[in-house]
Amino acid sequence: MNTALSNQRAAELAAIAHQIRFHVIDMVYKAQSGHISPGLGSADIMASLFFEVLRIDPQNPKWADRDRFVLSKGHSCPVLYTSLALRGFFPVAELDTLRKLGSRLQGHPIAGYLPGIEAASGSLGMGASQAVGMALEGRMLGAKYDIWALLGDGETNEGLIWETAMAAAKYKLGNLVFIVDRNGLQTDGACDTVMPTEPLDKKFEAFNWKVFKIDGHNIPEIVATMQAAREYREGPVCIIAKTTKGKGVRFMENTTEWHAKAPNTEQYQRALVELEESGV
Amino acid sequence: MSLTKAKAATRRAFGERVVELGKIHPDFVVFESDLGKSSQSNLFGDAFPNRYFNMGIAELNTMAAAAGMAAGGRTAFVASYSVFLTMRALEAVRSFVCYPKLNVKLYASHGGLTAAIDGVSHQGTEDIAFMTTLPNMKVLVPADSAAARAACDLALETPGPVFVRLMRDPLYEIYEPGEKFVIGGSKVVRPGADITIASYGDILFQSLMAADDLAKKGIEAEVLDLYSLKPVDTAAVLASVRKTGALLVAENHQARNGLGYELAVCCLKNCPVPFDNLGLQDTFAESGDYGLIIDKYGFSAAKIAEAAERLLRERRTEEIHSPALGG
Repeated sequence: MNTALSNQRAAELAAIAHQIRFHVIDMVYKAQSGHISPGLGSADIMASLFFEVLRIDPQNPKWADRDRFVLSKGHSCPVLYTSLALRGFFPVAELDTLRKLGSRLQGHPIAGYLPGIEAASGSLGMGASQAVGMALEGRMLGAKYDIWALLGDGETNEGLIWETAMAAAKYKLGNLVFIVDRNGLQTDGACDTVMPTEPLDKKFEAFNWKVFKIDGHNIPEIVATMQAAREYREGPVCIIAKTTKGKGVRFMENTTEWHAKAPNTEQYQRALVELEESGV
Repeated sequence: MSLTKAKAATRRAFGERVVELGKIHPDFVVFESDLGKSSQSNLFGDAFPNRYFNMGIAELNTMAAAAGMAAGGRTAFVASYSVFLTMRALEAVRSFVCYPKLNVKLYASHGGLTAAIDGVSHQGTEDIAFMTTLPNMKVLVPADSAAARAACDLALETPGPVFVRLMRDPLYEIYEPGEKFVIGGSKVVRPGADITIASYGDILFQSLMAADDLAKKGIEAEVLDLYSLKPVDTAAVLASVRKTGALLVAENHQARNGLGYELAVCCLKNCPVPFDNLGLQDTFAESGDYGLIIDKYGFSAAKIAEAAERLLRERRTEEIHSPALGG
């Protein structure tokens, strides 16, 4: 927990998160389809994962000992594609092909086409469940790698998440970390009104998970917590990261409106200006 | 070929073969959802506890977690009842097993009305429709122990997803141990020149009994075992119907979207002949004795024989009214 990130490195990661946000907006604008605001909200988490925490090698994407990352909230894949491209898994220019015919950047992720994608996802709950299988596999192999999955908080409405939580605790999967992007919103409104999930931390604790609650935009805290999660080997870990959906673009923040909407040209330009002004 | 009473159900034969294969192949694993004593996957669990994952009464997580384990190339069998594997876990099978073409092998006990006594919630009477509709999925329905053992071998050695439908109760044995089966293959279990009866699984036995009854009336039925439902051996079916000029399909499944529909399309495209298909006629079944149930719902030996005679009568009528269409 005390592995401190230097101020310089934290600033570098913040700059990467900024780039991720830019590309998420840009690619969804160009595709005129896709999910912007979930990506803006999780950009700091993704920058921390792909540029600091995950043991991955873009030159060798199938490296046997690599950490596996599963985007269980698969709709948020623009942020995953962007993170992989910026990290060097494939050319950044390919981001412009999102959702187009023949593209490796499918509307929701599928493994086997784009380097760095470990699992198909998009139907909520299924990525988390596959992550449990991957963790069982890692343990069976005696492998050093860990399995990381990013979930939405609305996604925890799925009964499958709790089947998954029971199984991971049964097998004491110390190589498994869930990160819940706790922005408090889901498609039809606030989580609290659509389907209340609080106390989410107590729920995971009751399922025998180790739980951390953090600020999902504080990069030193994100990285330190992920390192602590990696060090904890007695069972599965859930990091509940409080985030702002749409972070960095004021008119997209804390609203469900931009969950799955593409901006027009005026909105796109305004979004980029606001992102520059936001400092994130 | 002759029928002898089976000592064990196909689920047992399959479960025993999984254990034998486990000794030869040290890498594959088996997932279960708390029905191991019934699916017989517990045999594997007893033999290889470190390769057996009982995920509790949670079929969806069982399937998706098996997909996660198979993502690295490992083969995972997933055992349960057919109704749960093909419906409760259907989306995981479709989007997370078939779409990425993973080596997940579905090992489905209680197929069709072989779980007749258990009632509708446990009867997998739409399983073939769901499984044959999924891209990348292969579907096998072994009729007896030898075929079930072979299906297990085929599932393991064939890349990608494979679904094997098994039966709850012992019925009959027809094949010799070691009989050869292939993906996409079929068997002519009784040759005949008058009508083709295509079937699979438990209804193969009913079809053979029906053929015996028909023979007493001078009708020689050709009975096909289409144990590979996907890919299905259309070449063998067409060769048979070109000879007999009539096709009757009988299956322990909804008549809609089963083998009958598949072969109806095949014949319409290639060789239209008088046709009928027997199965559940857009209805659920009910609890009861297996023999009584399959008779009530129309695919017992007696009902198959009746349908065959009806088809042949219709063909004769057609021949009288439009001789040009006659065989």
